[in-house]
Amino acid sequence: MSDSAITVHNLYRFFGPLQAVNGISFEIPHGSVCGFVGANGAGKTTAMRILASLDYPTMGHAEICGINVVHHPAEVRRLIGWMPDHFGNYDNMTVLEYLDFYARALGYKGAERRQRIDEVMEFTDLVSLADRFSNKLSKGMTQRLCLGRSLLHDPQVLIMDEPAAGLDPKARVELKHLIRVLAKEGKTIFISSHILSELGEMCDSLLFINNGRIVHHGDSESLKRSSDALGGVLYDVQLDGDPQALSDWAILQPNIEFLESRKTGGRIRIDTEDPTKAADVLARMIRDNLRVIDFHREQRNLEDAFIDILANLEKDQNFIPVPPPLPAANPPAVPQGQALP
Amino acid sequence: MHLSDFPDRLSPMLVKELRQGLRSRSFIAVFLTLQAVLGIILLTASAAATSDHAGSSISNIIFSFFSIAVLIIQPLRGIGALSSEVKENTIDMMVLTRLSAWRIVTGKWSAIVSQSALILVTIIPYLILRYFFGGMNLLGEIVLLGLIFFTSATLTAITVGLSASASVILRSVLPVVGLPIGGYILMVFLTYQSGISELVEYCALEKKESWIGLPLFLAASTYIGFFFLSAGTSLIATYAENHSTLRRLISLVVASGAAVVCSMSSVTDPYIAIGVFAVILAPIFAISLTEFAPLVSPAYQKFVKYGSLGKLAGLFLFPGWPSGVFFCVILTGISFVPFLMNHPSYNTKEFYATGLACLGTLLFPAVVINLLRMQGPHRVSHYVLFGIASCIFAVVLAGISESMSSRDFLWLFIWLPPVILTMQTISAFDDSMLLMAAGIVDVGLFCLLLILAQHSYRASIGEIKKSLPDHEHPTAQ
Repeated sequence: MSDSAITVHNLYRFFGPLQAVNGISFEIPHGSVCGFVGANGAGKTTAMRILASLDYPTMGHAEICGINVVHHPAEVRRLIGWMPDHFGNYDNMTVLEYLDFYARALGYKGAERRQRIDEVMEFTDLVSLADRFSNKLSKGMTQRLCLGRSLLHDPQVLIMDEPAAGLDPKARVELKHLIRVLAKEGKTIFISSHILSELGEMCDSLLFINNGRIVHHGDSESLKRSSDALGGVLYDVQLDGDPQALSDWAILQPNIEFLESRKTGGRIRIDTEDPTKAADVLARMIRDNLRVIDFHREQRNLEDAFIDILANLEKDQNFIPVPPPLPAANPPAVPQGQALP
Repeated sequence: MHLSDFPDRLSPMLVKELRQGLRSRSFIAVFLTLQAVLGIILLTASAAATSDHAGSSISNIIFSFFSIAVLIIQPLRGIGALSSEVKENTIDMMVLTRLSAWRIVTGKWSAIVSQSALILVTIIPYLILRYFFGGMNLLGEIVLLGLIFFTSATLTAITVGLSASASVILRSVLPVVGLPIGGYILMVFLTYQSGISELVEYCALEKKESWIGLPLFLAASTYIGFFFLSAGTSLIATYAENHSTLRRLISLVVASGAAVVCSMSSVTDPYIAIGVFAVILAPIFAISLTEFAPLVSPAYQKFVKYGSLGKLAGLFLFPGWPSGVFFCVILTGISFVPFLMNHPSYNTKEFYATGLACLGTLLFPAVVINLLRMQGPHRVSHYVLFGIASCIFAVVLAGISESMSSRDFLWLFIWLPPVILTMQTISAFDDSMLLMAAGIVDVGLFCLLLILAQHSYRASIGEIKKSLPDHEHPTAQ
């Protein structure tokens, strides 16, 4: 078996002049949950459809558990479960009949089919809805039904395109719970979403895609702790005494920017990520008689981190979409924890 | 909760469609209305059954209502069969199972045909009752019933196949307008007193023509139905499925068979020969010349593993329109065999000009969409629409020429093959000139297609060779 559940190498997909996927490369290890993040039209769905063997790449290759999706689509389909971003349900068909149809289509017969349907319905909490018409379900129930459908053949890899879109908070929590349980069972989950905070909570790694290119691959913690677009880091400082003293002090300091006052202190921005510089700043505060009772680095939210990555890319002159190189010129896979220059 | 309503041996698609279809309002409405109407009519007729013609009148009524139900309403239900799955994004979920696109399409088709069969079965008691009114041609009426059912299955195949098209015009307007017009013609025929009797007599298989006509009709219907289902299959299939090769091989066998039959002088009317080849060539030309199927390794490797012979076969049978053009050249050659055998009935300039103009009419839309570089899986819809538009344009030109003193301006549009067909209907034009023009136009269209196809074919072969990993590359074996 391959080391990676999903391997994408130098993948391109063009639709006429539109470069939907523009030379992406990444690997996702077995049993991990990877979030796929990007704006609308960034190339997420196209890349996911190629992985699901529903579309084919213009160039490059993609593998699921070491099996090439273009050359061996039938084998790949046995390994993956697919949840599309939007789909309709059938008229005049109950939840049970819906699952029964897909179980039949997947080749289950007789008692085995019934047993598999029961297991999936129990897992997705659909037992009480078995006789309800599938087109009369709420969005959350529909997503659970779709997840149940994609789990019928017990796939090793789940590819989920925006599964949380349009869900209410309760349904979102339920879906998140199910994904966590699946991750614990050792399934590899590749999930796209716009809700970065939720992805951050449940994903082992995050892939950011922009204009068809991977712009970051790393875990959410490293993103939260990364510097902003200008290379600065935010600190929360709490004082024992007059909080005004912090702003008065910060104005006189080089490389420090006072951002906002708080009840007992404020937020400052130090223009470097270097922790020794932060230690120097703290030492200076104490030396200048500021009675510091708390000094800690603030974690950024993932949305800010994503926007900063995009801002960095826009600053960079090199980030101009160019025609693809020949297949021989393979760019390396983006290592985890790094953004592309 | 119960799931034992359908056995495992039935196709999953058929089970799904039957579960949905038997609950659908449209089927329930048709079914109940038909039962109610036939029941009332039979009761009324039996109460007033004094005339000698009561039996045949009841037959007329039964066949009329049955025809409306299975020749109009049931086929119309197929229009949304695949488009709704595509629109709702459920087709992707289906093709990721073990269901092939062909099984999905035939499942949709067979579910509607099964419901038509259910309607057929339920009118049998009325026919048994009608037997007691006398004057029944039992064999003729049973064969006619089967013929109507078979035609219904073909029409359903057409609408189900069309339902995969993205073109709203093609998907909706043709069946929605076409079927009621057909229905009207049918109604006129059925209400014409001797119409149904003549048809029953024809179906009684007492005349020699019936033994030729009915099998020919069934063969043509089967062929057309297969091609529409096959076209629908290609439109919803994922890139990994190759439906082109089988389709082309079937048309090759059918065209070869027709060429042999026509060469052996069985068909003496040249226009019947043209009609036969038009039915055979039109669907395969429409699909092969427009097919937007990327050549990917699963299909490619199945051919190249047979070496040079496989590669040569691939030139004509690979999925995609470039090989489709090469295949159509072969098919055209086969279709010309009976005419080149110098059959005396076929040996007229007018006939050759008509044949070549018909061929050009099939080629012209393909040249347009390939020159315009139209992409996407729905090129076949554009092909049909361009074909219809060019024919309409030719008819309009012919209409204008009727109102003008000189008709020579039609030569300006001679590059449009349907115009040659309309010019033939006007006696002012010399057949030799028209024959020469049709020949030049056809050669020109074929040359254009071949140039475009050759370029595209080489590019796709080059791309696939690059994409293959070293150990899967045929030259590495």
